[in-house]
Amino acid sequence: MKVILIATMLVASNFCSSQQWITRNGTVEFFSATIVENIEATNEMASGLLANDGRFAFRVPILGFRFEKALMEEHFNENYLESTRFPNGTFEGAIANWSDAFQDGQSHTVKAQGILTIHGIAIEREIESTLKWDGTAWIVQSEFTVLTAAHEIPIPKMVREKIAEEISVDVQMTLSPR
Amino acid sequence: MKTFSTHLILCCSLIFIGWLALSVNEVRGQSLLDELGASELAVHPVYATFKDTRIINVQSNETPGQNVMHFVIAHRFGQINEGAYALWGLDNASMRMALDYGLTDRLCLGIARSTFQKTFESSLKWKALQQKSDDSVPLGITFYAVSMARGDSTYAESADNRTFTNRLSYTYQAIISRKWSEKFSTAIVPSFTHRNLVEFIDNAHDQWTLGAGGRYKLAQRVSLNCEYHFLLKGLKESAQNSLSLGVDIETGGHVFQLHITNSRGMFERAFLTETTGRWRDGALFFGFNLSRVFDF
Repeated sequence: MKVILIATMLVASNFCSSQQWITRNGTVEFFSATIVENIEATNEMASGLLANDGRFAFRVPILGFRFEKALMEEHFNENYLESTRFPNGTFEGAIANWSDAFQDGQSHTVKAQGILTIHGIAIEREIESTLKWDGTAWIVQSEFTVLTAAHEIPIPKMVREKIAEEISVDVQMTLSPR
Repeated sequence: MKTFSTHLILCCSLIFIGWLALSVNEVRGQSLLDELGASELAVHPVYATFKDTRIINVQSNETPGQNVMHFVIAHRFGQINEGAYALWGLDNASMRMALDYGLTDRLCLGIARSTFQKTFESSLKWKALQQKSDDSVPLGITFYAVSMARGDSTYAESADNRTFTNRLSYTYQAIISRKWSEKFSTAIVPSFTHRNLVEFIDNAHDQWTLGAGGRYKLAQRVSLNCEYHFLLKGLKESAQNSLSLGVDIETGGHVFQLHITNSRGMFERAFLTETTGRWRDGALFFGFNLSRVFDF
């Protein structure tokens, strides 16, 4: 009897202890800078989940990117990212140097290792980010680059001087307890 | 009795443990991505049903976005069966220029001028209903209204008829569109055209036409388009049903539409109700639309 009770409590405590933090309105911006044209787009519909063992998942609905020019947005979705076939960009993995001591109000540089999937092409990446606990939520910030060729996003010759091969991405999120 | 309740508790505990173990496994086995649940944008309006605001001659469901100026310059050359002397019609171009401005993402105003009968146009286009990605709204409905004014001096034979009102004609249409797949979109376009002045006394002032159009994407930036307009009773002249075939080529900010059609006029009254060319006679016109957008 006692054994069963203890086992129950153990399993229950294990179950309850897996705390998570979440957002559904994270911001992802990207920039494509060339001599001819600068293109930028903002998405405020990114969602993210962080578990207290350092595992994480981020998801960005590609159709949520807003461009300055309506036609750019349409071309981005129809011709480049093929958003109907590949509706989301995702990054899933774990923080390599995760520590429970991060919840100290200081800014910590972490190495997020995982699989970055854009345009249906999954690539293993290590992305440096900063993580800060503000008392109630995690503030996540990250800047990294994405190579269009690596994700098989075709850029026709005609527009090659307008679209950069290397796209810089800027992520800002506040993850609150789930 | 006591043993029974002990057994009951034991049983319940075992089931509870089993359930907990299962749910933990479920959480562990499931990726964190799955735990995020449905995407914020799982349902969205369908975009890019057609590449341009026209299928060929007829309007598509598309409008320029908000604060976007859409400029179209279009040519129709002479009849292909004019032969080598007129370079198969290329000597003889008729032109139309149009400016459309998106007041919102779904409403636009337009003005245009054709060399054919020196016609001015002013138009209003409204995307009333947008198709949704999950088929909760399976169709798009766009309304288009255009008034056309002949600017030439030969619009009326008798001097009594030469009033401004008699220069005018109107077309109203509903563009019912559906994007079936990434590649294939169609539209059904019932149109009503009213002419204030007709050439002969027994000509009808009003004409209904039923049109159908579609596009099939051959490549990411190239599509094959066609449209057909069937004259529903009314006209007693020798007007023909309008049939056009074309190709859309998109290059960044431009869309080139190249086509062959039996309609020479590029505004609604002309191509819907006054088409004269016959496909079987080779009385066809080669032409193109070239569009460019400007953002404000």
